[in-house]
Amino acid sequence: MINSTSSNGVISSSSAASANNNSQSPGLKTYFKTPEGKYKLQYEKTHPAGLLHYGHGKTVTQASLAPLKDKSTQPSLPSSSSSSTSSSSLGVGGMRSAAAKFLGGGNGSRALSFVGGNGGTKAVSGTNGRVGSLGASSSSNLVGNSNFDAKGTYLIFNVGDSIFISDLNSRDKDPVKSIHFSSSNPVCHAFDPDSKDGHDLLIGLSSGDVYSASLRQQLQDVGKKLVGAQHYNKDGAVNNSRCTSIAWVPNGDGTFIVGHADGNVYIYEKNKDGSSDPSFPIIKDQTQFSVTHARYSKNPIARWHICQGPINSAAFSTDGAYIATVGRDGFLRVFDYKNEQLICGGKSYYGALLCCAWSMDGKYILTGGEDDLVQVWSMEDRKVVAWGEGHNSWVSGVAFDSYWTAPNSDGTGENIVYRFGSVGQDTQLLLWDLEMDELVVPVRRAPGGSPTFSTGSQSSHWDTANPVGTLQPAPSIRDVPKLSPLVSHRVHTEPLSGLAFTHESVLTVCREGHIKIWVRPGFSESQPSNSDPLLSTSLKDKAPVAGKVIMSSHKQ
Amino acid sequence: MGATGSRLEKALGDQFPEGERYFGLENFGNTCYCNSVLQALYFCVPFREQLIEYYSNNKNPADAEENLLTCLADLFIQISSQKKKTGVIAPKRFVQRLKKQNEIFRSYMHQDAHEFLNYLLNELVDTLEKESLSAKSDSDTSSTSEKIANGPNISHANGPNISHANGGVQKEPLVTWVHKNFQGILTNETKCLCCETVTARDETFLDLSLDIEQNSSITSCLKNFSSTETLNAEDKFFCDKCCSLQEAQKRMKIKKPPHILVIHLKRFKYIEHLGRYKKLSYRVVFPLELKLSNTVEDSDAEYSLFAVVVHVGSGPNHGHYVSLVKSHNHWLFFDDENVEMIDESAVQTFFGSSQEYSSNTDHGYILFYERTTTASTS
Repeated sequence: MINSTSSNGVISSSSAASANNNSQSPGLKTYFKTPEGKYKLQYEKTHPAGLLHYGHGKTVTQASLAPLKDKSTQPSLPSSSSSSTSSSSLGVGGMRSAAAKFLGGGNGSRALSFVGGNGGTKAVSGTNGRVGSLGASSSSNLVGNSNFDAKGTYLIFNVGDSIFISDLNSRDKDPVKSIHFSSSNPVCHAFDPDSKDGHDLLIGLSSGDVYSASLRQQLQDVGKKLVGAQHYNKDGAVNNSRCTSIAWVPNGDGTFIVGHADGNVYIYEKNKDGSSDPSFPIIKDQTQFSVTHARYSKNPIARWHICQGPINSAAFSTDGAYIATVGRDGFLRVFDYKNEQLICGGKSYYGALLCCAWSMDGKYILTGGEDDLVQVWSMEDRKVVAWGEGHNSWVSGVAFDSYWTAPNSDGTGENIVYRFGSVGQDTQLLLWDLEMDELVVPVRRAPGGSPTFSTGSQSSHWDTANPVGTLQPAPSIRDVPKLSPLVSHRVHTEPLSGLAFTHESVLTVCREGHIKIWVRPGFSESQPSNSDPLLSTSLKDKAPVAGKVIMSSHKQ
Repeated sequence: MGATGSRLEKALGDQFPEGERYFGLENFGNTCYCNSVLQALYFCVPFREQLIEYYSNNKNPADAEENLLTCLADLFIQISSQKKKTGVIAPKRFVQRLKKQNEIFRSYMHQDAHEFLNYLLNELVDTLEKESLSAKSDSDTSSTSEKIANGPNISHANGPNISHANGGVQKEPLVTWVHKNFQGILTNETKCLCCETVTARDETFLDLSLDIEQNSSITSCLKNFSSTETLNAEDKFFCDKCCSLQEAQKRMKIKKPPHILVIHLKRFKYIEHLGRYKKLSYRVVFPLELKLSNTVEDSDAEYSLFAVVVHVGSGPNHGHYVSLVKSHNHWLFFDDENVEMIDESAVQTFFGSSQEYSSNTDHGYILFYERTTTASTS
């Protein structure tokens, strides 16, 4: 209905849009207040009405933000180019977190991965509604030949047996594109805005199959099938358990990882062939971490056996040095990616962990799970430093808000305050402030089992530490400082599955495939321009990271 | 039956647990409430073993008096001693005995599984107490009256779940193996807001009945169960110290967590303006592992889910019961005579619905958790 995009294609909060949204969710407020001002519901994205086939409800929607760059810079884009900076402006970092979130179908949540975009930059040139016709008029399958410039920020989300792509910056509720999968349901996805060649989109299915493809090519195609895709783990030949999490390795030259419901992670390189004999040796001890490399340099190039039971989420630190996984066994594990070593980790209070996200500076990891707690893990202390209490059900998505700056921040880096968000199956979005100086630790104790960790050279410890010994048991409830939420807001009528922060908004995703975009205070009427000083300065050095699947965000 | 049996055996293959039997139970006309609870109890291994042990040690061939305990023990022995690994058994004698003993279960109406569980556990306790008394010959029969006071407590669906109130002056009640498995102690702390005196009253329980909310978790329901309630206005508290009615704060905490924690979700709610019960299909998530935070002391005692009795249907007066059981790290689905293996992730399809009208009507109703750690409270 709201096809009348304003002439400049700007996102604007319109009262019409919010009234419209409101009518769909009686009893839900269309704004929430924070110390810095009101966040307003700007618009919603969802799948076309009437899509309620049997597969619906069996998968959990996740979303990815996809900032598609200028076509001209796409083919050989240096990561430091201005376009990458602008692409990150939409806060891809934060979005990722959503993506990493719960792929864990195991627990039933959905992931949201956002391809963040420089929404503002191109004024989105009214892509919405026009994609179809444009695509039709130039329905070439080749990216290079198309005169359709799909630049903008897109929102990729899965519902039932389909992947939907929406233009993030248009008020149009309906997606601009849908991709149907006939054999199995897509359950997780990831986008890399800095991809060096065409394939920037990854999709994992519940059958274990994995695809890489070009997002632009999908937008240019008029059909309902995935086009120009490369197929990995075909028919589950390597692993037939459900994909639960998928992520590009930051600065990894097209390397990506796929987490599965049987506790394995596989590493692929997107331009390599599949192996004719992809079988890996049987895992002797399911409880032990082990890495096996493929005999020949073919896909998948390695298997990491992480744990028993599903890996629910995996996230890279922004620099790509570490990967964090959380799973059914309730453990957070942090690995040194290059050296293939377990660094540290710990158990939830109880129950499975469902989601995880890094802070942009790599110092903290958030996890959420079936104990209704948001857990803050310190990489420096290698232990849990705080528990956020406030959800009334499982925590299904966590993310740092890398675009938020403390009002009184003096920029010296002393006493940093981190803002983060969490969503849960209680339908609530909670925002939190983490100020390390303010945490009251009931009793200071050396982390159990590894008292030496806090002193001495890290590397020597890491070299010598027994990987199993570095996993901390569940802390006792009285030993962990508690945090209370700054804001709690019921945002949907359905359990939530993910969230993401962008420069101008917070996105919340529910399991059933509805996405709400909450605009930050001060952004409701104006369109951010691509020359936003805050963004370009604060994110410049991190730009290459922007498209990663990590749920990180950063704090400057 | 043969077909499902062999399918299950095939699914388990050489992982079929040594000595374990997976038998469906025949339905004698709306006896699924009974079958679902029996399966959960059968796979409550300490309970099964202790029942069979007690029965073998105390069987008195001369005194062949039948009761629910003997019938249950016979049924469990019958299942566990089957030559085949899978199949169907008719719990005929047990059901006959149940109907004979309590008219509530006599009709062919839909019965409440929680009511049945509560009745059965209390019957077992009663029988054990009776037998213990008679074993002690007639040396001391003085506690008979108390036993009556503690007798079967058949609560309606939303009724009080506390079967034994120890409020007054009482002798040490007999602690049977049923108690050792299922009994916990709640303490009801009341703080007079005038003199600040805290009065604590202990109550034992065999299961906890929790009020539920839409889109919540068991953790959250337990928190609400123990949340502080203010007694005021019409509902003041008589403070012994002040010798008058005073405003007070009351809360319920778990003093002694049970070994087997049975949680009953109050899905059947009496709606006053409708004048009838309604089923709440709320989505209430239950984790496979649980710790109790509403304890008197930080216990960090960990529990693991091993059985779920599921109510299927949209209303309280009709429907069906099935159960999910974890045995030797496999999840099994028992639907009267049918037994199937299911994936652990299928458990989450029984959480409930976040919309009022949904095609999914299979909802977790009674949860059975077993303590996995011995981290003790007091």
